Amino acid sequence: MKLKPGVASVPQAENGNPDAAEWQEDPVAPESKEPEKVIHPESSGVPGISTPPESVAEMRKTTVWDFRARGEPFVWGLGGALAIGILMIIGFIALILYNGVLTFYPKPIDVVTLREGGVLAGEFVRSDVYRPGPDTLASMPKEIVEQIVEEDKGKVTRRLYRIGNYDLYNEDFKWVPEYSITGTTNPPGLYFFERMEWGPFIGRIKSVDLNGKVIPGDDLSRDRLKTALQRASDRRKSIYELERGRMGDVNYRMDKARLALRKVALNKGEDSPEYKEAKARFEAASAELQSRYDELAKEAAAIKELDGKYTIMLADVSGQEKTLGLSNIVRCYAANSLTLFDKLAVYFSRWGEFLTQEPREANTEGGVMPAIFGTFCMTVLLALAVAPFGVIAALYLREYAKQGALVSLVRICVNNLAGVPSIVYGVFGLGFFAYVLGGSIDALFFPERLPNPTFGTGGLLWASLTLALLTVPVVIVATEEALAAVPQSMREGSLACGASKWQTIKYIVLPRAMPGIMTGLILAMARGAEEVAPLMLVGVVKLAPELPVDGFFPYIHLDRAFMHLGFHIYDVGFQSRNSEAARPMVYVTTFLLISLVFSLNAASIFLRNRLKKKFFAGHF
Amino acid sequence: MAQPKDSSLKQTRKWVLIADKIADNSITIGGLLVICTVFGMMVFLVWEVIPLFLGGSVQKQTEYRLNASPGRVLAMKLDEQKTIGVRVTENGVLTAWHAATGTILKAPSFDLQGKKITAVATTRNGHHAAFGFEDGTARFVEITHKTEVNPLNEMPSGLKRLNDRDQTDGTAVYSEIPGRQFRKMWIEVKLYDEIKAFDSGSPIRAMDCRFSQFGERPLQILAAIDQKGQGRLLKVESKLNLFTRELKTEVTAAELPALPENVPVVHALVNEVGNTVYFAQQDGTVYRFNVRDFEHPLLAETTRLTEPGVSLNVFGYLLGEASIVAGGSDGSVNIYFLLRRKDAHSQDGYALVHTRSFESQPAPIVGFAASQRCRSFVTQDESGNLWLRHGTSERTLLKVKESRNESSSGGGKIVLAPRRDGLLALLEDGTTNLWDIDVPHPESSLHTLFGKVWYEGYPSPSYTWQSTGATDAFEPKLSIVPLVFGTLKATFYALLFAVPLAILAAIYTSEFLPASVRGKIKPSIEVMASIPSVVLGFVAALVLAPVVENWVAAVIMAFVCIPLSLMLAAYLWQLLPPPMALRLDGIPKFICMLAIIGVSLWVTYSLGPLFEKYFFHGDFKAWVNQDVGEAAPFWFLLLLPVSAIFVSTAAGRLIGYRVNQYLKRARPFPAALVDLGRWLGIATASIAVSYGAALVFQGLGLDARGSVVGTYVQRNTLIVGFAMGFAVIPLIYTLAEDALNAVPAHLRSASLGCGATPWQTAIWIVLPTAVSGVFSAIMIGMGRAVGETMIVVMSAGNTPLIDMNIFNGLRALSANIAVELPEAPKDDTLYRILFFTGLVLFGMTFVINTIAEMVRLRFRRRSAQL
Repeated sequence: MKLKPGVASVPQAENGNPDAAEWQEDPVAPESKEPEKVIHPESSGVPGISTPPESVAEMRKTTVWDFRARGEPFVWGLGGALAIGILMIIGFIALILYNGVLTFYPKPIDVVTLREGGVLAGEFVRSDVYRPGPDTLASMPKEIVEQIVEEDKGKVTRRLYRIGNYDLYNEDFKWVPEYSITGTTNPPGLYFFERMEWGPFIGRIKSVDLNGKVIPGDDLSRDRLKTALQRASDRRKSIYELERGRMGDVNYRMDKARLALRKVALNKGEDSPEYKEAKARFEAASAELQSRYDELAKEAAAIKELDGKYTIMLADVSGQEKTLGLSNIVRCYAANSLTLFDKLAVYFSRWGEFLTQEPREANTEGGVMPAIFGTFCMTVLLALAVAPFGVIAALYLREYAKQGALVSLVRICVNNLAGVPSIVYGVFGLGFFAYVLGGSIDALFFPERLPNPTFGTGGLLWASLTLALLTVPVVIVATEEALAAVPQSMREGSLACGASKWQTIKYIVLPRAMPGIMTGLILAMARGAEEVAPLMLVGVVKLAPELPVDGFFPYIHLDRAFMHLGFHIYDVGFQSRNSEAARPMVYVTTFLLISLVFSLNAASIFLRNRLKKKFFAGHF
Repeated sequence: MAQPKDSSLKQTRKWVLIADKIADNSITIGGLLVICTVFGMMVFLVWEVIPLFLGGSVQKQTEYRLNASPGRVLAMKLDEQKTIGVRVTENGVLTAWHAATGTILKAPSFDLQGKKITAVATTRNGHHAAFGFEDGTARFVEITHKTEVNPLNEMPSGLKRLNDRDQTDGTAVYSEIPGRQFRKMWIEVKLYDEIKAFDSGSPIRAMDCRFSQFGERPLQILAAIDQKGQGRLLKVESKLNLFTRELKTEVTAAELPALPENVPVVHALVNEVGNTVYFAQQDGTVYRFNVRDFEHPLLAETTRLTEPGVSLNVFGYLLGEASIVAGGSDGSVNIYFLLRRKDAHSQDGYALVHTRSFESQPAPIVGFAASQRCRSFVTQDESGNLWLRHGTSERTLLKVKESRNESSSGGGKIVLAPRRDGLLALLEDGTTNLWDIDVPHPESSLHTLFGKVWYEGYPSPSYTWQSTGATDAFEPKLSIVPLVFGTLKATFYALLFAVPLAILAAIYTSEFLPASVRGKIKPSIEVMASIPSVVLGFVAALVLAPVVENWVAAVIMAFVCIPLSLMLAAYLWQLLPPPMALRLDGIPKFICMLAIIGVSLWVTYSLGPLFEKYFFHGDFKAWVNQDVGEAAPFWFLLLLPVSAIFVSTAAGRLIGYRVNQYLKRARPFPAALVDLGRWLGIATASIAVSYGAALVFQGLGLDARGSVVGTYVQRNTLIVGFAMGFAVIPLIYTLAEDALNAVPAHLRSASLGCGATPWQTAIWIVLPTAVSGVFSAIMIGMGRAVGETMIVVMSAGNTPLIDMNIFNGLRALSANIAVELPEAPKDDTLYRILFFTGLVLFGMTFVINTIAEMVRLRFRRRSAQL
C-alpha cells in the first residue's frame, strides 16, 4: 500500500499490531476485481477500501477520508467506556483515601449563633441541599420562606455539626439549616474531649479538682492539664490491668478448676474416691483463688477511690455543666488554637490509638487492634491450611494423575469451584465444621463444658478452614499453571540423570514453580482477608473480649470467636446505634483493609512479573 | 529411564526409592483427598437438605387396653414428655395412665354432683376443658401435669419400674433425665365455679371455650348454644382484689342473634379474643357471628362448608385461629379462612373462603386433633386411619392405622403430643394406640418452596418469604421464589451496567491502546477486582445511595448525556486535520475522552435540576409515585436508543449511499463537516421520532411507572446495580481482554495489511474470533454477581419482594443466608431451607460457570488452531 508522503512515517506498534494507516490513498486495483462492491458499498460486510468510480489517475490526486471505515464515533464509545471505568476507580480510591487519611485530622470547632436564639458548638461535618416539605415551610418565618421559594427554588442548604455532649443533649449530631445561622466563630478556649463513654464532649474547662486542690479553668496551664491527664490515664491503665489482667487471670483459673472437677465427676462419677479427692483439691484451690481475688479487688477499689477524687468540671457552649472523672478523658485538645504541629500530634496519637487499642463505645471509637489481630491470625492459619493441600492437589493433577478426560473434568470442576459463592462455603463451614466436626470434638474432648459449645460453634479454626476451602481452587490453579510453566525438558533432563520422580519434583520442578505457587498463595490470602460473608456464619463476632492468642495454656485458642476488619466495617457501619458517629471509624477501617488487601495483591503481581522475567531468561 | 548398567556406578540409594514411594502415595492420596473434600461439600449440602422433603416416620407403635370407659370419652390429654395420658369420661371420671405401658395411675376425679353433661369443649393445649350441663350451666375444669425436677439421689426408693426410663409409686411417675436428675410427674385437677350460661335452664347443645391468661388475670371465654337455638358468648374475668387478696369472678354475656328453633347445631367454635363465634350443623351449614361489638353481636354469615349430602363431622381451628379445618363424611378435609372479600355475601364484608384442600381419607372423618406448636393436625376416619397433615404445605405426612379389635366400637379421642412427636388414640372400649413419630419438617415441600401458597390472612395465593414472626402462632412463609427473583434482578441490573462498560473497555484496551499503556492499565484494573465487597457495599449504601437519592434525575440524565457527548466529540475530532489527528492518536486522544466524560458529568450536574424540572415535573420522587407529571418523558428516554437505531438505519437506506459517495470524494474537512451535519440531523430526527412515539404511548395509556419504575426507596436495585457492576467490571474486563489478546497477531496483521482500519480489524476480525472467550467472561461475571453477598446485604434493603421496579429494594438468596442463618436453630426447618437456598445458589453458579468453562475451552482450542 502506498501512503501519502508525509504520513508514511506512521509508527507501527512493535509486536505486529500496527496502529496502522488511519487514512489512506485509494489503491489501484480492487476496482476491477470486485465490481459489486462499487455498486453496493453499503451491503458489503467486508470493510475496507472504497473505490469511487472515477479514473485511477484522478483518484491519486485526492486524499479520501473514509469515515465509515475509521469508525471514529465507535472508537470513542470504546474509549469512553474505559475512561468511565478508570474515572470510577480513581473516584473510589480518592474517596477512600481522602476520608481514610483525613478522618483523624483535628477539625476546628465552630460556634454557631442561631436566628431563633441559642448557640451551638461543634465540628462541621458536611452540608447538603434538601427540599423542605410544606409543613416545615409553614412553620418558618415568612421572609425566609419567600427567600427559599423565590431565590433558591424551594431548596435549602443545611449543615451537619457534630455537637457531641450526648449525655446532655441526647443527640450528638445536628442538622442546621443555613437560613437560621446568623454567624459562626471559632473562639479559642473551646476544647474537644474524647471520653471513655458518651462520645466526645465539646466545651470549656470550668475547673479541675486534683484530689481536693481546685484549679479554675482559666489558671490551668496546658502542661499542668497534660500531666494531670497523663496521671489519670496511668491510673485508668492500672485499674484496667488489675481488673482485666490479674483478676481476669484469677477468674480464668477458677473456671478451669471448676471444669476439671466437673470432668472428674463425669468420668468417674460423683461417688468415686477420685471425685472426692478432686473436690478437696478444688476447694483448696478455689479458696486460695478467692482470697487472691478479694485482695486484687480491694487493691482495685483503692485505686478507683483515689481516681474518683480527680475530676474535671466542664461547661458546654451554653453554660451547661458536667463533672467528669479525669481518667474518663482519653484525649483533649483546644481545637481552635492548635498549631500545625499540635494538629499533627493529635492526628498521629489518634492513629496510634486506632492501631493499638481496643474498641470502645460499641466499636464506634477507640481502636481496632483485636480486629487487626483477628484478621492476621485467620489469614495466617488459612495460609497454613491451604498451602499444603493446594500444592499437593495441584502436584497430583499435573505430575501424577494420568492426563485424560477425568483429569480435565476435575480441572473444570476446580475452576468452577473458584466461582462458587463464598456464602455457600460459609453455609458448609457452619454445617459441617462447626456443627458436625466441632460437635463431635466437644462430645469427645470437652464434655465438661457442655451444653456450652467449645468447638461446636463458630471460631477461629473453623473460619480459617472454611476460607481455606474457599481459596483452595485459587492455589490449585496457580500452582498448576506454575508447574506447567516449568519446561518439560528440565524434568526429562533430571530423570535422564537418574533422579527419581520425587527428587525431580523436589529439586527441579518445585523450586522453579515456587514463585508461581507463592503468587497463588498470596492471592488466596488476599481473597481470604477480604471475605466477610462466610465469616458471618463461622465465627466472627462484633466484639471479642479475648484474643485468640494469650498467656494461658495452650496459648493459641482456636476455638475462640474473633474480630475481623471486614466484618468490623459491616458491623460498625450498619449495626451501630449511631451510624453518623460511626462513619469516621468505618472509613479508617476501610482504608486499613484496602491497604492490606492491595498490598497483598500488589505483592502477588510483583512476584508474577518476576516469575515471567525469570523464565524468559531461563528458557532457551 | 536408563538403569545404571555399569557396576562401578552406585546402586540407587534405598532411601531415595523409599522417599519416592512415600511421595508417590502421599501425593496421590492427598490430591485425591483434597478433590474429594471439595466435592464432599456438595454431597454434604444435599445431605442436609434431603430431610426437608421426607415425610414423617413412625418410630414405635405401642398398643394396650385400658379398662373400658363408662360412656363417652370427653377429653384427653398427653404431656410434653409423653409420660402420662389422661382421659375424662362421662360423669367427670378421670383416668390417668402411664402412656408408654398403659399402667393405670391414681388420679383425682371431678365431682360434678351428678349433673348430666350435654356438651363438652377443650382448649387446644388440653389444660382446660368446659362441661355444659342439661340445666344450662357450665363449668370450667383444669387438668394439670405437675412436674418437679430434683437431683437423682433424692429419688424415693421402693418404686415400681414401668420401663427403662420410668418408675412409679402408684400416683406419680418418676423419670430419670440427663444431668443426674429425675423428674416427678403427677396429675392435679381443679374445678372452677359453676357458670350460669343460660338462665332459662335449657340444656346446652354445643359449646367451645378458650382460656387465656393475662398475667394474674385469667380470662375464660365460652360460646354456647342451647337446645332452642339461642347462642351466648360469655366472658368470665377473674380479678384479684389487691387488698383482700380475694379472687372475684365477673361474668359478662353477649346474647347472639337467635337461630331458628331447634337448629341441630353440633359444633361450636370461638376464637381466643372472643370476637368470632361459629355454630355448625351436622349437614355442613355454618353460622358465623361477628362479636367485635360485644354489645351488638351480628349474625354475619350463613354458609355451607360441605357438598350437599355430606355431613360436617369435624370443625376446628388450627394454631393461630386463622385456619378452620372442615372434615366431611366423604373423607374430605378442607381448610377455610375468614377473609375480607369484596363479593362477600355477608353482613360485615368478610367471608369464609375455601383455601386449601387435602388428600381425602377412605372413610368418613370422625376425629381431629391440632398441634399446639405448628399447623400440623391429625384427622381420623371411621375405619381407624389416622393421617397427619400440615396446613401450610397441604402435605399428608404420615398415615397410621389403629389396630382395633372386632368388638371395638367407634368413638374415642385422638391427641397429638405437644412436641409433635407422638400420637395417642383411644377408643371407647379402652383400646389405646400410641405412636412415637418423627416429623421433622412438615411445613416444607416443593410446593411451599416454589409454588404459590395461600397463607393465612392473605387475600390470595402468593410467593412470600417471611421466616420468623413476632408470636408463636406465626405461620412461616418459606417461598424462595422472591429470593431467586431478587438474585436475578440484582444480577440483571449489575450486568446491564457492567457488561457494556467492561467489554467496550476491553476492546479498546486490547486493540487501540499502545502496549506500554495497556501494561499499566490492566494490572491496576485487576487490583480493583480485589476490592473487598464489604467496602463496596458500605460505599454504595452509605455514600452512593444518599447522593443518588438527591440526584437521581441527574443520574438518569448522565445515561443519555455521556454517550451523546462522546459521539459529538468523535464527530468534532474528525474535523481535525488528518496529520494532527494521527499525531494525537493514542494517549492524547484517550485523555480527551477522559476530559469529555468529565465535562459531560459536569453538564449533567449543572443541568440535572433543569432536566428534572422539564422531564419529571421538578420532583422525580413524586413523579415515579405517579403524583405529578405524565408518562411521556420517561418513554421518550427509553425509546431514544430504539429510535436512534431506527432513524440511522432509515437514513442509511435513503441518503446513506449518496452521502458516502460524496464523503469519499470530498476533502477531509468539508467531509467531516458533512458527516457531523449528518449525525446532528439523525440525532434531531431520532429525538423527534422518540418524542412522537412517547406521546403515542402516553395516548395509549401506557405508563412505565408502576412497573419498571416506581416508588423510590433509598437502597434500591439501581444502587445494587452500580455497586455490583463495579465488582464485576474488573473481572469481565480482565477475562475479555485476555480473550481478545489471545487472538493471534497474524490475523490482525493480515487484516491491517489488506488495508482495513484498526476499527474494522477490531470489530470484524478480532471480536468474532474472540467472541466465545468474551462470552465466557460475561458468564463468569454473572456467576460472581449471582453469589455476591455483602453488597446486596448492605445496599439492597433486604426486602423480599417480587417487584420489577428498579427503584425498589430486593433480597437476594445470598443475603438471605447471611442474614438469617446465624439465627436459625440447628436442624430446624429454616436451617435446612437456608441450606437448600445455599444449594440453589451453588447450582446456579455451577451451571453458569460450567457453561463459561466449556465455552472457554472451546475458544482456546479454536484459537490454538488459528
